[in-house]
Amino acid sequence: MKITVYLGTGGVGKTSVAAATALALARTGVRSMVITTDPSLRLRTALGLADGLNEQQVPLEGEAGELWAALLDVRATLDEAVRLYAKPGMEARILNHPIYATIASSLAGMQELMAVERIDQLRLRGFDRIIVDTAPSRHAFEILDKPALFADLSSSRKVKIVGRTYQLVSRLGLTSIGRSAIDIYAKAEEILGVNLVRQILDFYSIFYPIAEGYSRRAERTVAMLRDPAITEFRVVTTPQKAMRDAAFFTEALGERHFPIGAFCVNRAWLHASPEPLPGGLAGDVLGWYKAVSESHRAAVWSLKEAYGNQVRDIQVFSELERDVDGIPALEILARQIHIAS
Amino acid sequence: MDPQARIMVLCGKGGVGKTTISLALGLRHANQGRRVVIVSSHPLPELAISVSLDGLGRRFPAAAGNLFVVHLDPRELLQEVVERTFPVPIVAHTILNSSIFRNLVEIAPGLKEFYFLARLQQLAERKRSISGGSVAGPSGSGDGDRDYDVLIWDAPASGHFLGTLRAARAFETYLSGPLAAAGAGLDRFFSSSSNMSILPVTPLEEMALTETFEMSDSLAREFHLGCDALILNLVSPLVTASEGDIASLHVDEASAPALRFAVNRGLAERRLCADIRGRLAAPQVSVPRIRHWDGDLDLLDQIGEWLNIPVTI
Repeated sequence: MKITVYLGTGGVGKTSVAAATALALARTGVRSMVITTDPSLRLRTALGLADGLNEQQVPLEGEAGELWAALLDVRATLDEAVRLYAKPGMEARILNHPIYATIASSLAGMQELMAVERIDQLRLRGFDRIIVDTAPSRHAFEILDKPALFADLSSSRKVKIVGRTYQLVSRLGLTSIGRSAIDIYAKAEEILGVNLVRQILDFYSIFYPIAEGYSRRAERTVAMLRDPAITEFRVVTTPQKAMRDAAFFTEALGERHFPIGAFCVNRAWLHASPEPLPGGLAGDVLGWYKAVSESHRAAVWSLKEAYGNQVRDIQVFSELERDVDGIPALEILARQIHIAS
Repeated sequence: MDPQARIMVLCGKGGVGKTTISLALGLRHANQGRRVVIVSSHPLPELAISVSLDGLGRRFPAAAGNLFVVHLDPRELLQEVVERTFPVPIVAHTILNSSIFRNLVEIAPGLKEFYFLARLQQLAERKRSISGGSVAGPSGSGDGDRDYDVLIWDAPASGHFLGTLRAARAFETYLSGPLAAAGAGLDRFFSSSSNMSILPVTPLEEMALTETFEMSDSLAREFHLGCDALILNLVSPLVTASEGDIASLHVDEASAPALRFAVNRGLAERRLCADIRGRLAAPQVSVPRIRHWDGDLDLLDQIGEWLNIPVTI
């Protein structure tokens, strides 16, 4: 099994490109699965998916392997993990805890955590390729960084012991016990407020078995994401954003020692304009298209000049006339994508 | 500043041009002699802002002294709180470097958003100078503590923007004590249209519009905030063309692909534009996709010409 991870800032068309990549691969005869962590309905629309299903096969006409799509419902995935891994009797306490109510939506990178969980679930299902569409910009790297942080917090014995001791200490009213960790909690209380710290500790004292199980599974997935023989990272951008995105992603991925497999410049206006331009409104709108198109070509040229040595594979995809709203539109994009199966 | 002036909130889907529009709007007001503060919660301020404002002093000397971009990093804000609470540097240092503290902060739902809102409110109410954040202004960070006329919030993408506004309420509902009281105060402040001027940005594309409508509905339902104006970004020249001119356009399978693309897309945008009027009553401000520009500042300047949005609407 191979994994392709698409990264990019908001609005560049990552989800469409990811779905089109899965389609292009299915057309070569393999079983591909596209999984989106984007809460928007973009993938559902692009693939024409039915409502209410988190995972389904997309029917394809003509020669093809299999195309599957999974929408990542963070809350449902987390609820499921609680049901599977909570200690007996703790399930309801966790699900009804005030911290739990907000954690699924508020914890930055929760979607990425759940994507890692989902990749692990899909690992044994016999897919040739999993294509992961990440949430925009801000959390793009948390799919790599977050599992470590989460595991660190939740499986750390210190947190468990201190958490329990702390409850005891606070019940007995011994506020300054002098132990360094307790001291930190007391100070954290001054900053964050007593209630908040207690709520968090209380929550983690019941939640840690789930987190521990999670971090064991995540370790396996993150190892696959870190293996260049298995995983390729591709950056989606647009002509306007190309240079800034390239600077950001080469640095951010470089820091983490991941090579960028390809830059995909999406939504480019590439049609040649007829000469001479007609008169009237047609000439005006065509002149406008031509000017924008020239700026797009210039941006692609600059990108190749500046980053061609670092990233050998720079692909340019034409913008479609309308939103990608089904398989026929997606095929147009899929035909432009080069990817080895 | 006019006491009636509100925070101008540029919000919308990811990648629709909120930062660009914020900067262009700020530059326009600064050029007209107003002192402008743009508050950004953009995670990559160095990408979005300093690049764009490079050379401001040379090209727009009038604006240069008036325009300040403040990046409020919640982690820095929290660091300040720690340092204020524990004035002994070694104590503050120990806390900030403790993995327990860092993890508590990371896990606490909405804590970072809470601190962000608290600072934004202070800025809006003039309780603190603007020198607290990192100021990317042409005159450096030393000149940041004077009064301003316009406050612009370059908000995060719609989901996270709503999440930020909800953070205050979450603190109010699941906690008691001083933080909950502070949460209630923030919630009141940011749920009041006398403090917030909502200016969604969207291109004329179906997905972005759908998200804009959903965001506007949530803002109205949960926070009693209406939209003051809808900024349509990157629009085709066909959107503002007359019916007569549109009727004269003909494209078919034989037309050049460039013309077919430009016309079909423009007509689709025109249809969407007509649909909006039935869905969102806010006045529309159209910003065309700019044809030629010479560097970021020129682009911002050209965009600014279209942003005829008064400070108080």
